[in-house]
Amino acid sequence: MGGLNTSLLIGMQALEATQGALNATSNNIANANTTGYTREVVQLSENPMTDSGNEITGGGVSMDGLQSIRDELLNLQIQKQTSLQSSVDTQSSSLQQIQSYFTSNGEDIASELTAFSSSLTQLSATPSNAAAQQSVLVSGQNLARSFNTTAQGLMSSQSEADGQVTQTVAQINSLTKQIAQLNGEVSQLTASGQNGGTIEDQRDALVQQLSSLTGISVTQSDGGETITTANGSALVMGSQSFSLQTTTGSDGMKHVLDSNGNDITSSIQGGQLGGAIQIRDQVVPGLLSQLNTLASQFATAFNAAQAQGYDSNGKAGQDFFTVPAGTAGSAAGISVAISDPSLIAASSDGSAGSNGNVANLSAALTTALPSGQTPAATYSSMVFQVGTDASNASTQSTAIAQNLLQLTNQQSSASGVSIDEETTNLIRFQTAYEAAARIVSTIQQLSTVTLDMGSTQSY
Amino acid sequence: MRVNPSMVPDILADMQQSQAALNVALQQVATGKSVNVPSDNPAASANMVANTIETGQVDQYTQNVTTTLSSVQTADSALGSVVSSLTQAVSLGTEGANGTNNSSDLQALAQQVQGILTSVVADANTSYQGSYLFAGTASTTVPYTADSSSASGYTYNGNNDTNSVAVGDHLSVQVSLPGSQIFSNSSADVLGSLSSLVSALQSGNTSDISSATNAISNALNYVSQQRVTYGNAESQLNSQETYLQQETVSLTSQATSLTGADEAQAATALSQAETDNSAVMAAAAKVLPDTLLSYLAIPS
Amino acid sequence: MIAIGVQERNGKLEEHLQLLRSLAQELERAMLAISRNSLSELEDSVANQQALSARLVELADDVSAQLQDRTAASPSLIDKHFMEQIRSAFSTLQALNQRYSALLQHSSRSVELLVALFNSFRGQFQEGSGPRLKHQTWSCQI
Repeated sequence: MGGLNTSLLIGMQALEATQGALNATSNNIANANTTGYTREVVQLSENPMTDSGNEITGGGVSMDGLQSIRDELLNLQIQKQTSLQSSVDTQSSSLQQIQSYFTSNGEDIASELTAFSSSLTQLSATPSNAAAQQSVLVSGQNLARSFNTTAQGLMSSQSEADGQVTQTVAQINSLTKQIAQLNGEVSQLTASGQNGGTIEDQRDALVQQLSSLTGISVTQSDGGETITTANGSALVMGSQSFSLQTTTGSDGMKHVLDSNGNDITSSIQGGQLGGAIQIRDQVVPGLLSQLNTLASQFATAFNAAQAQGYDSNGKAGQDFFTVPAGTAGSAAGISVAISDPSLIAASSDGSAGSNGNVANLSAALTTALPSGQTPAATYSSMVFQVGTDASNASTQSTAIAQNLLQLTNQQSSASGVSIDEETTNLIRFQTAYEAAARIVSTIQQLSTVTLDMGSTQSY
Repeated sequence: MRVNPSMVPDILADMQQSQAALNVALQQVATGKSVNVPSDNPAASANMVANTIETGQVDQYTQNVTTTLSSVQTADSALGSVVSSLTQAVSLGTEGANGTNNSSDLQALAQQVQGILTSVVADANTSYQGSYLFAGTASTTVPYTADSSSASGYTYNGNNDTNSVAVGDHLSVQVSLPGSQIFSNSSADVLGSLSSLVSALQSGNTSDISSATNAISNALNYVSQQRVTYGNAESQLNSQETYLQQETVSLTSQATSLTGADEAQAATALSQAETDNSAVMAAAAKVLPDTLLSYLAIPS
Repeated sequence: MIAIGVQERNGKLEEHLQLLRSLAQELERAMLAISRNSLSELEDSVANQQALSARLVELADDVSAQLQDRTAASPSLIDKHFMEQIRSAFSTLQALNQRYSALLQHSSRSVELLVALFNSFRGQFQEGSGPRLKHQTWSCQI
């Protein structure tokens, strides 16, 4: 009796074992900041058999029946990949915007760090020169501004994602209502002995749309169709729909609640909703946090260097930068505290022509901050991270699109004449994939002697 | 739901891809760069941050070398002038001590030496682009001003500190000596000895004249030695200039390998991308329904 | 280490460049084949990839040895333009490889599922059509 489910279960276990082996051959993608991908595990649950005329009797299944299950399986795959596609595309879109804040355009942080460093070096040669002092002041202001702009950019991306959350939840609710309605119609038709196929198709199309909004789990039973979010919150049960709600949390962001009022925001995976939440609650906060730490620590280090020397008026150097007390908001809030260039503490002995403290000011840029790297290296790491995330999202997007194409083509191609033939073909595919995975590994490890990316100059 | 087994999804996907490739090729040719945003090459983009900063630094170091060389050469030139003046003073002093001078001769000599003293003070007060070169780090103050209470008639207003200018990531060059060390050093007092000679000539005391002349001779040797510091600074700066030029080449080369698009290759890639795109569009035109074609604005 | 002439070394670098480009083309071809679910096209491409990558590995080690050999011409004599092309081709290949890897992961999953499904029905095949199985009592949570 448990023939079908048990063997499927065994099949799934075999699948997981192979999947693990396959994952080992290409680890880069696994690190991509795509939602839920690596967390998703194929599961199969056994449902109790119901007592209906459609029950599968133990021992035998027809080719038609097999075709039907195969199609259903592909359907579910398409649904899952559609969710993933939407999630990745949503994130990819955001990441393209986010990386623009880290792209060299003359006013980005890297460009302003460059100008600021140079201005200090110039001061070393002509410490009492008014123009040289002014240059340090202005480039310091530009540097502060570049932090402000970058932080504001990140916050606007976050805000946009927040808007998407609200919008998507509304769309989800609209769909679930429609789906529940159609489920009801199908039930009625079936009960009165009529064919509900057309309506079912309509409903399936809506379910597909729903899967692009958020990851879902669909269960068919004679009681009807049950749709939940990937983490199990009810969306549709037969002819009844359950609305999600949004509410503003203490973080100022829209939180998603299930129909019972539970906050399910952090467990939402897949679809536009999952993608938007990932950007809003993980990607952007991570970057903002790093940026704030950088701004705060850098300002502190530079101010400490100021304090070690004397300004042109012979007074002990005062703070050059102003940052908020804690780390939060440092990037958005950093500004230059002085407006008089003569307050720059170039001197080490109190005389106006001494450049003895300029070395300390410059050192604030070339010495490791408490977080472990120099300001430039810290920023470089962020550029790398953003670039990698954006690149991975883009790669995944294309790969998933190709995979979806394949699934679609698989579905529309007729199943083979016999199970044996079908199985043989599938195994040939498996073999080809395994060989291909080894190629992937070989290429990854291929190093060319010409690949001299340049040692990172110790700045 | 059953998907309509048409070729449309494949064609659309192909079109999207070939269009994307075309855009990338266009941008590469337009900007000369193959890396425009971090995702094009994250590692290269990250490394470019350091490259950009270092390139800016090397440019500034190069300017510092130029500026500093000028001020060092100006100072050395002033000291050269001082050496000439002191040589002349020794000559005058020697003449004054030879016993053949009468009173008015000695007065005339004294006046000449006074003139030399004034000239040497002027040299000591040399400034370059608004900064006094021999005031130590108090470069906004005149090094020597007249002071009747001082033995030499002049008082030093500067300090004894020096600046070292950054001309490399790990190189700073000391660019001056304090005036006090050169001109009013207790062991070889240039101003003091000149002033003493003036007094001695005025007094006519041969032994005093001889003493003062010897002291000036001593000071002259001393100043010549001090010039060595400036000579060394000049050498260092010149070497550094050569090194910085090499650094510039190296950094530029690194930048190109990180972000540059090979011109010929970019042009070839663009040409290929355009050909591919045309082919895809032509194929699409044959397959896609008219309504879709007009939506996508493909010439049919 | 054996001293090898500049010409021979340049010849190997030229081959290196060609291999990188050909391999890149094969990866594209394979991905296209996968999306079209074309088995024989895929197998064909993978076979080519195996040959190309094997040769690349051989060559890379060889070239590496040559460039480190001080008795051969120094690396600075290698045409800069050429180096750029190789670097660029390598970069392109790596990027394609990332996508290839991702696609393989996704596609493999689906095939595994189907294989498991069909394996479970081996020997249980029954001729003739059966009842419409739209309403299953099993569920698959993916």
